Amino acid sequence: MVNAFAYVPAIVLLPFFSFLVALGAGRYLPKGGAFGGIAATAGSFLLSIWVAATVAGGRAYNETLYYWASEGGAGIGPTDIELSFGVLIDPLSALMLVIVTLVALLVHVFSLGYMNDEGETGLPRYYAGLGLFTASMLGFVVADNLLMAFMFFELVGLCSYLLIGFNFREPGPPSAAKKAFLVTRFGDYFFLVGVVAVFATFGTAQFAGPESFPALADAALNGSGSVAWTPGGVELGTWLTVVGLLVLGGVVGKSAQFPLHTWLPDAMEGPTPVSALIHAATMVAAGVYLVARMYGFYVLTPTTMAVIAFIGGFTALFAATMGLVKNELKQVLAYSTISQYGYMMLALGAGGYVAAVFHLTTHAFFKALLFLGAGSVIIAMHHNEDMWDMGGLKSKLPVTYYTFLAGSLALAGIFPFAGFWSKDEILYEALVHGLNDPLLLGGYLMGLLAVPVTAFYTFRMVFLTFHGEPRSDTARDPVPVRWNVKGPLTVLGSLAVVTGFINMVPVQKVLGIEGIDLLHLWLDNHWGGIEGLSSHHYADLGPYSSGYLVGGETGTVLVGAAVSLGLALLGLGLAWRLYNVPSPAEHTAKLGGIKDVLYNNYYLDELQVWLAYRTEDVAGGANVFDQGIIDGVVNGVSSVSLTGGGRIRQLQSGIVSQYAALLTFGLVALLLVLGATGGWFL
Amino acid sequence: MTAVASSIPPSWYLLLAAAVFCVGLFGVLTRRNALYFLMSVELMMNAANINFVAFALYYGDLTGQVFALFVIALAAAEVAIGIGIILVLYRNFGTTDVTVPAEMRW
Repeated sequence: MVNAFAYVPAIVLLPFFSFLVALGAGRYLPKGGAFGGIAATAGSFLLSIWVAATVAGGRAYNETLYYWASEGGAGIGPTDIELSFGVLIDPLSALMLVIVTLVALLVHVFSLGYMNDEGETGLPRYYAGLGLFTASMLGFVVADNLLMAFMFFELVGLCSYLLIGFNFREPGPPSAAKKAFLVTRFGDYFFLVGVVAVFATFGTAQFAGPESFPALADAALNGSGSVAWTPGGVELGTWLTVVGLLVLGGVVGKSAQFPLHTWLPDAMEGPTPVSALIHAATMVAAGVYLVARMYGFYVLTPTTMAVIAFIGGFTALFAATMGLVKNELKQVLAYSTISQYGYMMLALGAGGYVAAVFHLTTHAFFKALLFLGAGSVIIAMHHNEDMWDMGGLKSKLPVTYYTFLAGSLALAGIFPFAGFWSKDEILYEALVHGLNDPLLLGGYLMGLLAVPVTAFYTFRMVFLTFHGEPRSDTARDPVPVRWNVKGPLTVLGSLAVVTGFINMVPVQKVLGIEGIDLLHLWLDNHWGGIEGLSSHHYADLGPYSSGYLVGGETGTVLVGAAVSLGLALLGLGLAWRLYNVPSPAEHTAKLGGIKDVLYNNYYLDELQVWLAYRTEDVAGGANVFDQGIIDGVVNGVSSVSLTGGGRIRQLQSGIVSQYAALLTFGLVALLLVLGATGGWFL
Repeated sequence: MTAVASSIPPSWYLLLAAAVFCVGLFGVLTRRNALYFLMSVELMMNAANINFVAFALYYGDLTGQVFALFVIALAAAEVAIGIGIILVLYRNFGTTDVTVPAEMRW
């Protein structure tokens, strides 16, 4: 039988080849190289399905493919450190591969409608960026060690920079791209320190296996093993917390969590399909995926878990409130993304590993759907994104409307759409674990408060865009969209409806039907996986115990689901009342001063700029040090050899007699020196 | 003849060789005509030959004499090439003065 795992590198390399083709030959190909990208991502998608099927058949894969430094160890550092590229395929990465390749494929198809049909220029550059973006994310997903993950993490960041700044001739995109790059890089700086700390502490950065760093950390905390190094005098548990928080810095930057979320709304300057890719499958998902990937490490340190949960819950509420007052379609979606990733972080911090992966899955589909739907609206509206110029698009764009509605219902968490199941499970996990942990309960309450806010801004967006009377000429006569827009929307719309059914835990708990919590079984190595990477293993290691409200488990499930659904319906109802009228008015003025605060994103951008100016002197000092000392040494060495060479080359006069004289004097000098040392003259 | 030659102490041969070598070296360092160069180099080689032969006589070993024969053959070859170079030199610059062609410099 042919081994599916042998083709895992091909999943990563196919989009990479499409990048090379689009870059090198894109301008000679029809559609600017789009078909290469579509073929490559389709191939990756099929291979991913095959790999996932193989994992379902009870097998997993954890291989180091290539040592790029010191195979067998070269004696650097406290232990022999091996730096390698490898592939780790377990249920989690197999699932993620399918999600990423599917979304990337649909985004490529959609781009035909959004970029090619709209007559954009620079298409080879666009498709090259998409290919590299997809390849980087896939490489990140299959990475078997933290350093490899970090490298692809950085590549993902680079590609987002290239794609957000795609329209570099306008003033906005380059600045947004720069901001995205710098803000995420600020987080990645901590991540890099964390990677080094992991290497120094454990001597390895492997994710899986008995010699992996989560396993070593577990053994060291149990007392049945020891780590290679901890900084002098620091207690092991404290140090592991510090390492966990350092790596978390990269996650907070990439997954746009408070306080490093500011880049994401600005990233809306990029083309809409790119936004879909960034928000659903690559880039932003990378942060949450990284925590899930090394979850065995995080569950060992309760403080880190609490921090993750609290950041997540806070971000969920915080971002949702900002989404309330935005006027641009994509801005609302941007804040909803930050908020939804906050939920995933809340789940991870609350010990809800499966819940987080579940929400990652459903969110990937419904958020890609919403962005592509928004892209379709933007095509129809001649690239006007202001929702106050829309209205009444429902009858003109039926396919977009119904799929967008499905995505919105999923985002708002309305039964039985995908988002309901995953969000409900997150809140349930946070609740049962939070009843014994006040900090977690705080995260839960913030997450719960974000539910009606989410439902409200989601449906404010839907009603303003699609319902009521058209409020501008373009909305009265929108541009029709073609199959290449409708196709991806239909696929994702169906997925947004049905994805929730892969994990009907509440139904199982209440009605007692076994075996319908497929994702739980999948991530628990029910069909196969790698030991030490199962959700059960994580739950055993985790710091939490469950508490229940009245009525035990069943009662808690029902109460939790009823409360969150009730709140979501409340938000939806309010939006309906305020905005589902023929000519809706802005109600934001009623918020008074809060409106300005919300509209200006709590002045966080200004705060960051202020901080940047306060730290200008430090940066200036570092610059002087870099330019003066570091560059000075390098430049000094080169200028010394340059001047020295300039002087010495004068010897080469070209006159033979002088060469002969030099030879003779050299010989004489040699004889004198040898004679003096040999003792001739004594 | 052999008796006369071997009755002379080897230091005289060495002094003679050193003198001939210095004459050759002086020629190389002071002359500007390439032909003088060739002749001076020839003198320096023959100084070496004198040393070879003198030591061969002193140790009663023929190796030195064989070497001297080799050096004579080598000198012939060197002159053949040297003359060729000088011819080219003359054709290109119209002179055999070695200080004129100074293009091969920095």
